[in-house]
Amino acid sequence: MSRRFLTLSILFTSLFIFTSFSLQVVEASSKQYIYDSAELLSEEQVMELEGSIKEFGEKQETDFIIHTTNDTSGKSIKTYMGDFYDEHAFGYDQPKGNTILLTVSVDPTKREVFLAGFERGEEYLDNERIELVLDKITPHLSDKNFYQAFQQAISTSNDYMEYRPGVNPESVLLKTWFQLVVALAVGGIIVGTMVYNSGGRVTVTSRTYFNENNTRVNSKRDMFVNKTVTKRRKPSNNNKSRGGRGGGGGITGGGSSFSGGGRSF
Amino acid sequence: MVIHYKCPNCGSDMEFDAVSGMLSCGSCGRKDNIEDFSEEFITTTFSEDEAKQYNCNNCGAVIITEADTTATNCSFCGAGVVLGDRLSGDLAPAKVIPFTISKEEAMAAFRKWCRNGRLTPKGFMTADRVKGITGLYVPFWLYDLDSKADVKAVGTRVRTYTRGNYIYTEKKFYDVYRDIDLSYVKVPVDASEKLDDTLMDKLEPYDYQKFKDFKTPYLAGYIAEKYNFSDEELFSRVKTKVQPYIDSYIRSTISGYSSVNYKSKNIRTKKTKAHYVLLPVWMVYYDFDKQEHTFAMNGQTGKIVGKPPISLGKVASWFGGIAAAAFVTLKIISYAVGGVLW
Repeated sequence: MSRRFLTLSILFTSLFIFTSFSLQVVEASSKQYIYDSAELLSEEQVMELEGSIKEFGEKQETDFIIHTTNDTSGKSIKTYMGDFYDEHAFGYDQPKGNTILLTVSVDPTKREVFLAGFERGEEYLDNERIELVLDKITPHLSDKNFYQAFQQAISTSNDYMEYRPGVNPESVLLKTWFQLVVALAVGGIIVGTMVYNSGGRVTVTSRTYFNENNTRVNSKRDMFVNKTVTKRRKPSNNNKSRGGRGGGGGITGGGSSFSGGGRSF
Repeated sequence: MVIHYKCPNCGSDMEFDAVSGMLSCGSCGRKDNIEDFSEEFITTTFSEDEAKQYNCNNCGAVIITEADTTATNCSFCGAGVVLGDRLSGDLAPAKVIPFTISKEEAMAAFRKWCRNGRLTPKGFMTADRVKGITGLYVPFWLYDLDSKADVKAVGTRVRTYTRGNYIYTEKKFYDVYRDIDLSYVKVPVDASEKLDDTLMDKLEPYDYQKFKDFKTPYLAGYIAEKYNFSDEELFSRVKTKVQPYIDSYIRSTISGYSSVNYKSKNIRTKKTKAHYVLLPVWMVYYDFDKQEHTFAMNGQTGKIVGKPPISLGKVASWFGGIAAAAFVTLKIISYAVGGVLW
């Protein structure tokens, strides 16, 4: 009996040690992705988002950080974001490494969002792509659907980062439906011409019976009569987005370069 | 007046041979040069309704012809006969392009053409139900035309430039006038009532270098017709035929504008000459799927025209194949450029 007890206790102890060890491992590798200071998300929503972020991280080798606040302590949201990054030194691969940082400020006087990409994030989510992501999420933010906005930001960033840097991921040329339409049109035109020409083509042209010797322009006149000039204002760049634009990337106080874009909502 | 060519050697029927371009005898192989042949048959004039009935010189049987036929084969003995009085006076053709493609070559070319039909049904491609092939000299009018065009138009030049915050669009209007002489020679129009005009138009062009002065022996062994419409009656048709040529020439003289708006286009076309000629056409009659399909082959160049039956299945598979290939290509390009397949 004592022998049996011994075996059991050894088993239990080892099991305990093993689980506590493995728990520690999990804890060590589990970073914090969501800093919800403004308390915009419920407990389950945070769990759900973390799940999405982990998936995102595995695919893109980039951490996606969500940071909400209701006080940017007087700084611009861009500076505030930069300081937050420097302070936490985020990164999937290394401190201050591959990161996408989404900052949402719900300061009652100034509701803003800023999305920034560092390292791999800067390369694969450049300013143009960030603008495209912001185009998609700003409506949700305006409607106070923060959870939806964040999910959208994660999945859209994930989609865009699949594309090679410099390519516009929303380009119609890359859309499957467009390619399908073009392919069908090409097939239709070629086969249509084949059917049309199956009975033989007319191969005479306007030159076939043309007699050069007796064809000439006897007189010609090209007289200027009048002219009209119309003018319109050059389309300016800042009428594209509704909110103010805290545009472009930059360099944080700590010296990390990033791509970025911001809106107020 | 029936003209029939009997071989001076053996007395057999002689026919025009497309390969050698000579009058030849099928039995003994004698060949006679047509250029040296007596012209007396053409110059003999008969009034048109004088002859109501023709008898074959060879066998004496009545030759059954239609009113327009000028050359045919005796339905009884098969000898090639030419009805001389229907080819004389006003009805005498000035020139003829003799057949350069023989019946056998025409048949072979037609079979080959059927095999290449990418959209035709499989059964059609074997070309094993050709009902008949007929060598036909089709009457054509060749018009020499002189046209005068007075054109008034407004030409617009558009220029855009940017100054400061504004984009300026400047439109300059020009009063354009052209006085053009145009000339087209030997524009062919088929003068036979029976044949489809669009079919005949597609047979063009013929090589006019090969025109020969008309001699009746060229018709021996072939079917020939006389014109149903005079050159005056077909003048409007030749005018519509050259209209697009004239338009494109006018366009080519007005250049340097972003857009041209024609105010008036006054075109007067007059005929300087009309030649009555016979051009060689092989007509192929093909029974397929309880329908007769008619094809025409240019007897000089071998060009084939005519609506073949279209297989829906083949159309669908070509369409599907091309569309799929295009789609895959686009996907490969987008993968190469964007790095994403979907």
